Amino acid sequence: MAIENKKGWIFWFNPLKYSSDKWLYALHRLTGIALGLYLMAHVFETSRILDGPITWNSTMVFLDWPFGVHFGPYILSGILLAATFHALNGLRLTITESGLLMPKPYRIEYPYKAKSLRGWNMVLKILLGIFMIIISIFGIVYIFTGVIL
Amino acid sequence: MKESKIMLIQYITGIFILVLGALHFLAISALAPTSDKVLYQYANNSTSTHTLTGGTLYYTTVTTIYHTLFWGSIFELLLTFLVFHIFNGFRIILSEQFPGDRSEKAITYIMLVAGLIIFIWGSKTVVTMLLGGGL
Repeated sequence: MAIENKKGWIFWFNPLKYSSDKWLYALHRLTGIALGLYLMAHVFETSRILDGPITWNSTMVFLDWPFGVHFGPYILSGILLAATFHALNGLRLTITESGLLMPKPYRIEYPYKAKSLRGWNMVLKILLGIFMIIISIFGIVYIFTGVIL
Repeated sequence: MKESKIMLIQYITGIFILVLGALHFLAISALAPTSDKVLYQYANNSTSTHTLTGGTLYYTTVTTIYHTLFWGSIFELLLTFLVFHIFNGFRIILSEQFPGDRSEKAITYIMLVAGLIIFIWGSKTVVTMLLGGGL
């Protein structure tokens, strides 16, 4: 039986007690919530296309220039960063939690060093960082300039 | 359904979302049916009122994408996987915040209804556009 998280969501953020895995987990949840809320707004926003070109184009302009401020690219960049992180970390979780990289059963030998996912998990975290930087650069440059690198 | 099975579906839908989401991004960027791949193209940027005249998010560009069976199917599949993945994610988070059999059941039903509403709403747009909708 699972142990109850009696401290609620605040327990996701405890820098003293946990490793980087825990921070990635907290960020995974936060980006998941943000992207979930974005999906609802996105479904509403895209449904405006059924109202014709005037409504659609003015909706797009509003999203690019909300309340007269050119803030749209920053919002889009935020969504891109959240989605990229959530996707890459999700891949890492899928691989590690389903035990895809677990070593085969082995006979224990001196010096009794436990084989685990530790090394692979670190490799995956480094790869996450590298891909995060690459995708973010390509995506943000495109959002702000329209240039595909 | 067993939680382990639900989690397996959560992982599988996540992988599909990654692929289909990337395609969705490409649909409005590199693969958009426009010569210039910029998102917004304005008639005059210096004025306070902005008139959209082109770009990958311009009405005619987006309707062209929506009217294609390939992209319509991609969007509908993406919506299906997203709705499951997101509302199951919300269910997991909320169930952890409000533990107990009764609250978990209530959360599951609320998420199911909310997910269905978003799915129907999104599907209405995709299917209507696929059938030649839009003014």
